[in-house]
Amino acid sequence: MSWKTRVALALTLSAAGLSATGCATVQPWQRGLLADSCMVFDANNTAAYMTHWQEAREGSMGGFGVQGGGCGCK
Amino acid sequence: MIGRPVFAFVLAALLVTPVLGAAPKDAPDITLTDLSGKPIRLGDLRGGVVLLDFWASWCIPCRRSFPEVDALHRELQSKGLTVIAVNVDEQQKNAYMFLEKYPHTMTIAFDPKGAVAQAFDLQAMPSSMIVDRRGRIRFTHEGYTDKTISLFRSEVLQLLAEGE
Repeated sequence: MSWKTRVALALTLSAAGLSATGCATVQPWQRGLLADSCMVFDANNTAAYMTHWQEAREGSMGGFGVQGGGCGCK
Repeated sequence: MIGRPVFAFVLAALLVTPVLGAAPKDAPDITLTDLSGKPIRLGDLRGGVVLLDFWASWCIPCRRSFPEVDALHRELQSKGLTVIAVNVDEQQKNAYMFLEKYPHTMTIAFDPKGAVAQAFDLQAMPSSMIVDRRGRIRFTHEGYTDKTISLFRSEVLQLLAEGE
C-alpha cells in the first residue's frame, strides 16, 4: 500500500468516524427535550408581530421585504 | 432454478412465521417504584389483569389518555384490573406538575432512565400493554385515538373473563 493510499484511507476513516459521532438514536421515551416548546421554530408565533413593530418603530416599512398582491398594502 | 419442494418450504415458512410471531410473549418481570417509593413487581400481580400505560408530561396525547385510563381503572379495579401508569419523564418535577393538574387514583410509577420502556421495547409514545392473568402481553397499543379507550375496555373485559 503506497503512502498516498494510506493517507487517503486514514482521511476517509477519520471523516467517517467524525460524522458517525454526530448521530444518535433517540428512543421514543427520550423525546422530552425534543418535544419542548423551545425546540420549535417560532414556538410562540411572535416573529411576524416583532417584525411589524420593528418596521413601525424604525420607519422602515418594507425593509424586511414586502409580500402582497401589488396593491401596496400590507 | 429453485426446486419445487424448496419453493414450497420457503412459502410455507413465510406463511407460518407471522402466525408464530403472534404468540403472546411473557411480560418481562420488571420492578417499578410508585409515588411513595414502594416497589411494585409485575410478577407479583400475576392472577389479575394489568394495564401498563407509558406516559410523559411532554406527550400531548397523554393529556387525553391519562384521565380516561384512570376512569377505566376506577371502573374495573374491583373486577381484577390493575392499572400502572409508567412515567418516562427524565425530569421527575415535570411529572409531578402534570400529576397536580390531572387528579388520579391509579398507581403511578417512575421509569426516568427508560429501563422498563426498553424492556418492553417501546416503539412510540404513548404506548400501552395489557398483560393477562398468566403474565403474558396480549395486547399492545401505540398512540392514542378516539377509539383506544373502548378497545382497552373490551380487551380488559375479555382477559378478565378468562380463567387463570
